[in-house]
Amino acid sequence: MNVYFIIAYRNILQRRMRSLVLAVAIVVVSLVFSLLLALVQGVKNTMIGNGTALMTGHLNIAGFFKLSQSSANPMVTKYEPLLEYAKTQIPEADIIVDRIKAYGKVISETDSVIIPMWGVNMDQESNVLGRLEIDKDANGKVLGDLFQLKDRGTMALFAVHAKKLKVSIGDMVTVSIPTQRNINNTKDLKIVAILKDVGMMSQFNAYMHSADAREIYQSKADSTGQVMIYLKDISTLKTVEARLRNDLSSKGYRLMDKDSAPFWMKFDRVAGESWTGQKIDITTWEDETSFLKWIISLLSALTFILTIVLSIIIAMGLINALWMSVKERTTEIGTLRAIGMQKSKVLWMFMLESLILSVSSTAVGLILAAIICQTLNAIALPIQNEAFKLFLMTNTLHFAFGLPQALITFMSLVTFFTLGSLIPARQAAKLSPIIAINQS
Amino acid sequence: MQPIILENVIKNYLLDKIQVPALKGIDLKIDAGEFTVIAGPSGSGKTTILNLIGCVDTASAGKVVVGGKETGTLSEKQLTDLRLHTIGFIFQSFNLIPVLNVIDNVEFPLLLQNTLSPKERRERVLKFVDRVGLTQYAHHRPSELSGGQRQRVAIARALVTRPQIVLADEPTANLDSVTGQNIIDLMKEINQTEKTTFLFSTHDHSIMNQARRVIRLHDGKIQANA
Repeated sequence: MNVYFIIAYRNILQRRMRSLVLAVAIVVVSLVFSLLLALVQGVKNTMIGNGTALMTGHLNIAGFFKLSQSSANPMVTKYEPLLEYAKTQIPEADIIVDRIKAYGKVISETDSVIIPMWGVNMDQESNVLGRLEIDKDANGKVLGDLFQLKDRGTMALFAVHAKKLKVSIGDMVTVSIPTQRNINNTKDLKIVAILKDVGMMSQFNAYMHSADAREIYQSKADSTGQVMIYLKDISTLKTVEARLRNDLSSKGYRLMDKDSAPFWMKFDRVAGESWTGQKIDITTWEDETSFLKWIISLLSALTFILTIVLSIIIAMGLINALWMSVKERTTEIGTLRAIGMQKSKVLWMFMLESLILSVSSTAVGLILAAIICQTLNAIALPIQNEAFKLFLMTNTLHFAFGLPQALITFMSLVTFFTLGSLIPARQAAKLSPIIAINQS
Repeated sequence: MQPIILENVIKNYLLDKIQVPALKGIDLKIDAGEFTVIAGPSGSGKTTILNLIGCVDTASAGKVVVGGKETGTLSEKQLTDLRLHTIGFIFQSFNLIPVLNVIDNVEFPLLLQNTLSPKERRERVLKFVDRVGLTQYAHHRPSELSGGQRQRVAIARALVTRPQIVLADEPTANLDSVTGQNIIDLMKEINQTEKTTFLFSTHDHSIMNQARRVIRLHDGKIQANA
């Protein structure tokens, strides 16, 4: 075994208590960092999972139709050729569905809510909307069946809205929606399913039959809200998006400029533009859920700040411990220099101590983090606080701890601590060999 | 070739902006295979001479030639290299690496040299450990050895690279008289069989009497060279 490794390893063992305290500290930092990264990734995954079930495909062929310069209707007219194109010219696609976009008031006997709604065709949606969980009542009874949305005159609400409207399955609500010509059309719908809340996104979605949505809007059968394309491999998104944009443009479709915002944030801009007729807007799941990006940004920033603060504290401890080690081993270093060890080797010897400590402790932290994440995911720890449910977009804590998170934690902490050890290691390397003789 | 040549070497130290002369024009030549003692009272310049010959310090003036190389013209890296390949050090306080066992301590300079194969290295180490009579303690750490045994390890470590010169700064100062005598006997024996040049400092008159040449220093000058 490399003698430098042996020296470093045995010096760590010799200063057992100091090394142990440092090792535990590094394990804690590594654990906290990993858990926070796993939580951020978990929220991201939840956002992708929920977002792509609730309101967007990985890629969408959407757009606006303007009857007049000041209007803005989020719809795609004559969508069949586009649907056909998606089905035949995008081999990367796994599932393709189309939904009608609606926005209006849902009125119960006691209250009302204004929410975005979707007209869906459940024949297409089993692997999309069908992924959502149905809520249960206090007795554990499942509240409805989402697939009853196949029938006309039905509606599915999230628990948050059902609670506000004080409705349950079998109850009737009235949907009132302003049409393109500013006339409010209404339709009575029966609640057939109450969906389990998925945090903040629950606030922005409710579902009805696509034919009912068309009927309320008085729109033709050849129009839809958007064609939603789900890819087999999400990593192909950018390529497919670029190809789609290029193909539709060359087919003569008028395309809207790329704007990374959900469709409902584009109304004012589109209404203010002078064109009329149809324009196609190609969007991604990231665009449509960009209004929730701040949550990820905030969590990432918190993770970064907390980790930096903790790492600096630990690095100071590590530097101090190595500094003490240099002081205690002055004669030894001088001796090594006297017998012919180059400065660079002394530097390496001390950095190796830090490297061994940080590599082994970070690895332990990662293993613990993996175990804790697995356990917490298995337990499906419920979030009690409503604000946290909204914020984290889930009812249970979900940690996604994979190789990328592990590698980020490992590389960043080991690099940080090893670089920190450069300061005392350089001091050690600078020691003159004469010390060995003078201190003899 | 004479492995050690000092010509009109002067060494001054700065103490609180005052120049303190440690060596005042030393001329010295040591032949290969000599067993030489540098003697003198404290402050006479014994250690300073060893430091200069050991390439761990530089002269204020004059010429120091070690192993055919003038040390004043060498870079720090070259000086370190010269120490590694030409000089073996034996320290008063043994200065072993506490976390390494006897074999690892002796092997260390060979690892730094990195010129032998692992098998050759092992054989060389075991030979020198045996030579200093520590085979049965080969896997002991310094803390598990007596003072005399530790100094034997230091001797083996100094010799394992087959250096031209072995420098020893009061190698028996921390040992009792019997153990000290044993160490000197061992050094003499190795000097005779390996033809290694030994240069060491001491206060001890009984040890001075056993050297083939004694250089007496006083106040930074050579008083007697016989």
